[in-house]
Amino acid sequence: MVQEHDDEQAPANELGKSSDFYRRIYSEIEEIGWDRLVRIEEDLKHLSFRIVDKKGRVHILEITIDSSYPECPPSVSADVPRIFNLDWSISSTLKDVLQQFQRHLEKLQDFWSALDEIDKCFSVVDPKHPSLAVSYRQIHIGNDCYLLLSLNAQDPRSLPECRFLGSDSDVSHWRKIWLQNCKRWNKEKPFSDNLASVMKIQLHEPPDASKCDQQTECGVCYAQYLPVDDELGSSSGASTDYTCENNNCSRAFHSVCLGDWLRSITTSRRSFDVMFGNCPYCSSPVAVRMNAGK
Amino acid sequence: MTSPSPSARKGLSKIACNRLQKELVEWQVNPPAGFKHKVTDNLQRWVIEVNGAPGTLYANETYQLQVDFPEHYPMEAPQVIFLPPAPLHPHIYSNGHICLDILYDSWSPAMTVSSICISILSMLSSSTVKQRPADNDRYVKNCRNGRSPKETRWWFHDDKV
Repeated sequence: MVQEHDDEQAPANELGKSSDFYRRIYSEIEEIGWDRLVRIEEDLKHLSFRIVDKKGRVHILEITIDSSYPECPPSVSADVPRIFNLDWSISSTLKDVLQQFQRHLEKLQDFWSALDEIDKCFSVVDPKHPSLAVSYRQIHIGNDCYLLLSLNAQDPRSLPECRFLGSDSDVSHWRKIWLQNCKRWNKEKPFSDNLASVMKIQLHEPPDASKCDQQTECGVCYAQYLPVDDELGSSSGASTDYTCENNNCSRAFHSVCLGDWLRSITTSRRSFDVMFGNCPYCSSPVAVRMNAGK
Repeated sequence: MTSPSPSARKGLSKIACNRLQKELVEWQVNPPAGFKHKVTDNLQRWVIEVNGAPGTLYANETYQLQVDFPEHYPMEAPQVIFLPPAPLHPHIYSNGHICLDILYDSWSPAMTVSSICISILSMLSSSTVKQRPADNDRYVKNCRNGRSPKETRWWFHDDKV
């Protein structure tokens, strides 16, 4: 799409006005602190500020202003489930915008802590890397059945909107439990307790609390780094360097460990310095280059 | 008590030691149901108490497994035997040796002590008769010199029990 830029070119008689504009913006940034400014466009009309909330979550507030600023209020956007209504007067500054945003973040703390609790206690399959603006979670509740929860950002502890996804019989089974028990939802109780008592069963915990570490730990020796040992030659102290190519597996290995394992069983084949065999976890074919130094 | 098997006599490699420590921590956090690791300071030999699952032939019975780890664990399977008295089971010999493929040919480093224990308990639980393997006497006689079950050429009879 081609945009018309004509109206953005400031005519000469507006130069005085635009230098006032620049001065004003610079001094307002100064008031906030340059260290909190993440990005600014050349025309000073698009600014992003970094705000860290009480719990250490980092937020980026994007502010767009037009040349009639401050008569016309800036528009704001951020990674929040809903944006706040900006209170604006001719004497307001960007600092007021940030302060209002910060107060808005305060109100959302409970919402994020409820979501954190869900992420910690249940096996969330979607979103995998949730943004702070997302207010839903899809939880695996067993047998290929999923619960889609949507939280109300203004009242995060209340009964969330729920949808069950799965086979018809499973869905009607879960829906029945839900109907029978949803009245027992208690806003005072932790979110996870509520889900457990309403669903009658303990929902799945995440497969492994240390899943993130596991992805870089070797599936054979269970360590991320090989021991420092002369016997290991150039691999001494090395990090995992091979990942199973099956996306559903993606186990990490030291090629030394995987190679040693493949060499110790009779079903592997060797061609020059490459060992062919199967992943010990998923049995997909793997090919590991053997360390020439060994 | 059984003497250390030849394969377990050598000390653990650094890699084996490291991996076993992690398995032990994981066991302590999340022990398999029906099993109790008897605390010792010997990382190379674990003694594990097994409780027969309720509602099976072995309910209310307790046995002991002895797990010896080879120097290059997990490249090689651990040696797993029942300490006397071994449970009466069609795949368990009176000297405690267990005929179970994952302890020998089908071992893989993706398995753990915990997953072995679960397999053994499921083998016990699915049994319908309490009896010794048909070739028990012959086999046990052949093992009299203290041979490890890992040196046996196993013939895996069936997967029903």
